[in-house]
Amino acid sequence: MGAPGAGLDVVGESSARRASRRERLLASENLAGWAFTSPAMLLVAVFGLAPIIWSVVLSFQRNNLLSGGTWIGFKNYERLMQDPLFAHSVRLTVLYTALFVPISIALALLCAIALNRKLRFIRLYRTAIFLPVVASTVAEAILFNWLLDPYFGIVNYALVKLGIPAQGFFQSPSQALYAIVAMTVWGWLGFCVIIYLAALQGIPKELVEAAAIDGATRWRIFRRVELPLLGPTTLFLVIYLSINSLQLFDEIYVTTRGGPLNATLVVVYYLYQQAFQFFEAGYATAIAYVLFLGILILTIAQLLIGRRFVHYRS
Amino acid sequence: MSARRSLILVVAVLVAAAAGLLSACGGSDESAQPAGSGSPVALPSPGGGGSVVLWHGYTDVERAATDVFVARYNATDPGFKVDAVFAGNNDYALQKLLTALAGGKAPDIAYQYGSSMANLATSPKVVDLSPIMAQTPSFDWNDFFPAERLATTVNGKVIGVPALVDNLALVYNKKLFDQASVAYPTKDWTWTDFRDAAKKLTDSGAKQFGWAYVNDGSEDTVWRFLALLWQANGDLLNADNTKSALDSPAGIKAMQLLYDMSVTDKSVYLDKGDGSYLNVFNSGKIAMLWTGPWDISSINADVQYGVEILPADVSHATIAGPDNYVVLDNGPQQVANAWAFIQWFCSPEVHLAYATATGHLPIRKSETELPAYKAYLAKYPADEVFVANLDNVTKARPNIPTYPKISAALGQAVQSVLLGRAQPEQAIQAASQQIDSILAAGQ
Repeated sequence: MGAPGAGLDVVGESSARRASRRERLLASENLAGWAFTSPAMLLVAVFGLAPIIWSVVLSFQRNNLLSGGTWIGFKNYERLMQDPLFAHSVRLTVLYTALFVPISIALALLCAIALNRKLRFIRLYRTAIFLPVVASTVAEAILFNWLLDPYFGIVNYALVKLGIPAQGFFQSPSQALYAIVAMTVWGWLGFCVIIYLAALQGIPKELVEAAAIDGATRWRIFRRVELPLLGPTTLFLVIYLSINSLQLFDEIYVTTRGGPLNATLVVVYYLYQQAFQFFEAGYATAIAYVLFLGILILTIAQLLIGRRFVHYRS
Repeated sequence: MSARRSLILVVAVLVAAAAGLLSACGGSDESAQPAGSGSPVALPSPGGGGSVVLWHGYTDVERAATDVFVARYNATDPGFKVDAVFAGNNDYALQKLLTALAGGKAPDIAYQYGSSMANLATSPKVVDLSPIMAQTPSFDWNDFFPAERLATTVNGKVIGVPALVDNLALVYNKKLFDQASVAYPTKDWTWTDFRDAAKKLTDSGAKQFGWAYVNDGSEDTVWRFLALLWQANGDLLNADNTKSALDSPAGIKAMQLLYDMSVTDKSVYLDKGDGSYLNVFNSGKIAMLWTGPWDISSINADVQYGVEILPADVSHATIAGPDNYVVLDNGPQQVANAWAFIQWFCSPEVHLAYATATGHLPIRKSETELPAYKAYLAKYPADEVFVANLDNVTKARPNIPTYPKISAALGQAVQSVLLGRAQPEQAIQAASQQIDSILAAGQ
């Protein structure tokens, strides 16, 4: 950043004086810069940094948020390592992520390719696929509760007509997590499709043309030209969706509330339960920190692996 | 234009903002002395201008009535103003109060569920009302129903005043009973009568169910089971709340009834916790509910329903879910003003008028002896059974801080039996062991 004050140099001033004046000007500009950003910084500090630091403190306490905490050192973390329900919630969260992320990405890629064409009413189709992203999670949950109701839902009605016995869905301990996967894939698909569509349209036509002139089939063009060029987008989606699915909460909160029989007790829901149902705020923040660490490690690993496979166009 | 002057200005604004924040965080240090139990309280006389903030979660009719009564109180010119604030759904009242307490900006009075009392009692900001009540004999604490007094008392401290009381009774659809030629429930019904009727009233082809049970493993699942457990003369914990008493013939018998009805007879509609049972009842697909006064106003006009006390094993015990007004310590003057309003609001005449406006049950025995009680019953005929049923509430949930964990453990057990995933005895034993280890670990 150049100092605009330099243009005001007065002829005849010694260079030393000029330099010190420039320094002063720079210093005051720096200060002004800090001052201008300070409202935002203060907000970040109060609503971001302070809670983060406070929660570190909290995670070393037994604290019910009501009567002041007692310092217990690493006890919360030790307890966490031996808590079978926490291990269960980690397994569920990993299983959910392992299902949700690949399914979302594969479906989104298919839909994006299907929508990356000149069709009549193409804008209508694109809007339609994006609609669930705009709808609120609560509306989504009400819709799926209604569709998947074990007694009166229309999915079971259709299944019975087809001769398949009625299913429990959200009410069945063995199916609830898969029903959540289906619901969230539906909710997130539009977002992934839009990202892929933008990336597909950013692929230079001349590359596709050149490949076609060289005699490549449509499949080979996709496999060898388009798919590699979508690499950075796929990496972004994998990381973004993974972070979101490890933090899954809203959809659980408005549908199964961790049940039935803990079948959907994912990590963040377990955290919520500890803090606001069982008054274990210290333990809950310890869970939050372990989760944060997990997300950090996964994201770094994804970036490192991605560096090998993802091709960036210069 | 001087950059320096604007810099000074910005810094000044920041310092002012930071000072404001600090004082907001520190908050009300003038009321630092705890309102410990037994310590002599010398409350100032009400007044001093200012306002008493009351947080509640009422909507519709209840909210309108609350506003009317608060306005009526303010019109008596008590020297201060009461401000009734809708603070969102009562299901989140505890989280909101926790946040407000942490931020030092608590209201003066807050509506809270009875099940939150034991944990709220650990906060030094929640006022122990027992010494204040002792100095106000005219308040007549013993006039409140026993279940209410039990629910607000934690280790000898009284940390709330009943705001609303309800209990579970049997609500049935008369048309479905007529169609299946089953006699209506009576006050002498036994578990056997109940189970047989539910079975006869079930028609799987027509997706019609004899009974409904809230099966989300929450407190809504648990308190229904507690009623069953008490009917079989069992209990959840021992007398001094140190051990589980669940693993008893009564506990297994209560769980067995659920298993027989849900798994063997398939006569139970399992609600996933979203309250859909009421819609299904309104559609004439559920014959019997165990529910309270809060659902009565949502029953469709074309559904002919009756209300009866719960069936008996050993007794017709039921459970009450009293909710309370908790007073927060924002200084002696605020506590005195809050207490003055509560005394008025919970006095027999005023509360009966409020109950007549809202359909709530009376919270004091003496309300049922007032002349206006006849008009109340004429307006809410179903409530006669609910009021009489308050006599069947002889026990309360244990008021200990670990109760939410115990409730969760028992909720899982009930759910596993309803879904046929566990045998009654096995579920009871597993829950009982879990409860023992929760109690051993303490808070």
